[in-house]
Amino acid sequence: MNRNHSSRSFATGVVGLALFLWGASAWAHHAISAKFDSTKPLDLSGVVTSVDWRNPHVHIFMNVTNRTETLNWAVELESPSLLEMDGWSKETLRPGDSIVVKGIRARDGSRQVWGEAVRDAANGIEIFAPKPKVSRAPLAPRPTPKWPDGHPALGALPGMADGYWTDPSKTALVEDGVDVKMDEYGLLANLADAAKVAPMQPWALALYRHRQERQLRDDPTYLNCKPPGGVRQYQSRLGLQFIEDRSRQRIFVLMGSGNHNYRIIYTDGRKQVGQVGGDDDNPLYFGRSTGRWEGNTLVVDTTGFNEDFWFTQGGLPHSSSLRLTERFTRPDHDTLRYEVQVDDSAAYTRNWSASWTLKWNGGAVLPAHFCQNNRP
Amino acid sequence: MLRPSRWWLVLLAMALAAPITAQEGHPLKGSWIGVWESNTQHGNDVLMVLNWDGKRISGTINPGTDNIAIDNATLDPTGWKVHIEANAKNKQGAALRYVIDGTIQQLEMPNRAITGTWQSQSGRGKFEIRRQ
Repeated sequence: MNRNHSSRSFATGVVGLALFLWGASAWAHHAISAKFDSTKPLDLSGVVTSVDWRNPHVHIFMNVTNRTETLNWAVELESPSLLEMDGWSKETLRPGDSIVVKGIRARDGSRQVWGEAVRDAANGIEIFAPKPKVSRAPLAPRPTPKWPDGHPALGALPGMADGYWTDPSKTALVEDGVDVKMDEYGLLANLADAAKVAPMQPWALALYRHRQERQLRDDPTYLNCKPPGGVRQYQSRLGLQFIEDRSRQRIFVLMGSGNHNYRIIYTDGRKQVGQVGGDDDNPLYFGRSTGRWEGNTLVVDTTGFNEDFWFTQGGLPHSSSLRLTERFTRPDHDTLRYEVQVDDSAAYTRNWSASWTLKWNGGAVLPAHFCQNNRP
Repeated sequence: MLRPSRWWLVLLAMALAAPITAQEGHPLKGSWIGVWESNTQHGNDVLMVLNWDGKRISGTINPGTDNIAIDNATLDPTGWKVHIEANAKNKQGAALRYVIDGTIQQLEMPNRAITGTWQSQSGRGKFEIRRQ
């Protein structure tokens, strides 16, 4: 190993600090279950041959020697941006390092594992491990920052430390009041719960079940780098940031995920037609959004979505009839409440709603994640 | 000047040249191109445009000067069975009713297919179209 114990302790400390600051669970670029089988654990012990530090997933390649031969295995980890958030860098592991990997095997039987934990083979010290879900340490409520006209600021006020919204309390769309178990990518623990998730039309329910049965492996956001339209931008630990351009009466929503995409919410009272970048002949991944303030809540009406993407993690279908009514409320400095009503009569039997919260990550810069769809 | 009956072939060629666009909504929505084999009245090649408005599947077979309006279409998501009925005219101008039954294959793919059979008073045969 070419790192000493103190540097390893430092790395562990950074991970711990990240845990404290973000209180987040591990979040990877694609649904792990789409490629790897959690029922097939595998421990590997060997020597690192190379580290491929690229999007969408970092790979460690390692030689594993058994009684008769040496084989090269690929250990897949999260994206570089997420690993960096957890204290890793491209220098954390280097060729020649001896490691022990605890992981799960690829479904196709190839020599690939999803790395759940990585240890130093010499002393057993943990280099990387999945982050348990840890509740954020309760902060003493701080008042909501407000503009001079009394509207809550959705981001940082001028002169304030920058920051962004992250750590969504839900990472897949489920109708409010419904209790179903699913993983952080929206994969149901029990497929029989599919019909409970939202009031789907029969074709939409069958399609949703099909996507779930295939462990979400067809998600175009990951296969083809489609933008995180609909509500997906609010479901990622990579977060988002509001830039309020008050002089031009518009709000930019910048995303840490989705190749740094952004959407614009117009608050100048314009009608829901003919906006720059889209019309009926050019539907969009983020639709066309107009917003207005109702008291301390920003209400955003969005239509004009195309059908080229999944509008939520988990694979609920939508149509070009989709209309989202989003309500953003900042009840205190560190909490953003997101509520959304889904109106899509071509896919659902009635309107329905979902809601969750995001947390303010103050003093931090919005991560930059770039998808590369020619990578495994 | 192209004969009217050739125009839809031009449209077919244009559609073939266009890239496949993703379609993650209703599985039937979009443009489909393929064959209805042994069709002596409307040729082997077929182009179909289908839409879903939330209540009803509508569409046209061979859009252009020789188009055939679909007047009944259903999708049974249990097994993804497709049933299409359309009224046309044969070369002599007599009424012809097409009935197409098929199954969606590779549902998750943008270029998913419908395979099955077609039949009318003039004959029957294999039917296969693929989404563009």
